[in-house]
Amino acid sequence: MEKTVLINCSPKNKMSASGFIMRFAGLMVRGRKEYLHLRRPSDRPGILQALADADKVVFAVPLYVDGIPSHVLPFLQEMEGFCREKNLSMKVYVIANNGFIEGRQNEPLMQVMENFCGRAGLEWCGGIGIGGGVTLNVERIMLPVMFGLMILNMLLRGVQGEDILEPVRSFGTTIGTFLLLCCGIIAFTVRLTSHINKGTDAGKRYTRIMLPSFIFILFADIFFTIISVLQGGIFRGWFSRLKPDANCGIITTNNH
Amino acid sequence: MKTIIHDLGKEQNERLLAAADQVICADGRYAPCQGCFKCWTKHPAACEMKDALYQSCRILGTSEDLTIITENLYGGYSSPVKNLLDRSIGVSTPFSTYRGGEMHHTLRYGERNRLDVIAYGDITEAEKHTLKLMTERNAINMGFREHSISFCSDAEEAGGTASWKRPY
Repeated sequence: MEKTVLINCSPKNKMSASGFIMRFAGLMVRGRKEYLHLRRPSDRPGILQALADADKVVFAVPLYVDGIPSHVLPFLQEMEGFCREKNLSMKVYVIANNGFIEGRQNEPLMQVMENFCGRAGLEWCGGIGIGGGVTLNVERIMLPVMFGLMILNMLLRGVQGEDILEPVRSFGTTIGTFLLLCCGIIAFTVRLTSHINKGTDAGKRYTRIMLPSFIFILFADIFFTIISVLQGGIFRGWFSRLKPDANCGIITTNNH
Repeated sequence: MKTIIHDLGKEQNERLLAAADQVICADGRYAPCQGCFKCWTKHPAACEMKDALYQSCRILGTSEDLTIITENLYGGYSSPVKNLLDRSIGVSTPFSTYRGGEMHHTLRYGERNRLDVIAYGDITEAEKHTLKLMTERNAINMGFREHSISFCSDAEEAGGTASWKRPY
């Protein structure tokens, strides 16, 4: 039975959208599976050990400044040496996710991973680049809340002798909207896992949350405004051109 | 203000200062970005982690010209340089806009002059292609009007290339 290692490369401990999409993909991957999280240097030995007998590896990577997050890079270097030393030649798939709406903004990250495979002697099998995947975090919080409200509404309507199926229909509409927004991500993830199961080249495909970009931007702006009010950043020079302190530590100047 | 970020080692700082107002040696001894966005939402333009990189975005943001000297790593920046860039997303604000027909964050420090990247080491043709794309994407994201990428065979040549350039 073939073994697939799925690595969540997000530094976030909780609410990682990349990790969520990876778990969703993992549901459809056949054979032996191992889910791992790369957050700290201490995670690296365990992951390399898991890779020693793996046939396929799936990296779920968030886009940081147009590329791979910096904590992942030393691991890739270690993995390159490890794979060369052990003469491993597993197949590599990537799920890239970014906070902008355009999935295509993941292209440099995908190229870096392809170049890594070339250096490490691994088989690059492509993957998917997702735009606006962070919306899934909102959905996975909202859906259980909406479900709870639906049950409460049904109970209240039952007591009052009203139609108890109305909240179910309303919740069904919410689910339908969710699926519509995510149809690209779902379809491309299903397609990717089909390639993973067959061990074939998936190519590079880009998808996004199915919202017009101006609506996505509006929601993103509202979200960050609310968070900035709650955390206080809005009152501390939210848009100001703040200057570095004189002794901020890392600069060398002509005046030293 | 012209700033050089490099991964050549601190001993190169003096030499590089001939071509810049300030130099930052990225030595990789700092914590990586945790993706918390508090440099946007809690204490703007300052990182949650109070190490030497906690105001790196302010240094980059106030630099009209930025030169990045980096060892090639799979067609991207070396880990120490990427660490510094990841910790500097406070150069933008949490608000989004369109730039180059795509969604990007608005710029806290406005548009700046130019970004020059000097990549050194063993670089394949595919990696050169990726580095060109990466530089172009970074210039758009960070708000530089112009950008360039050049390739050097080793660190010595990269340091020399950077120190020939006069401050703009």
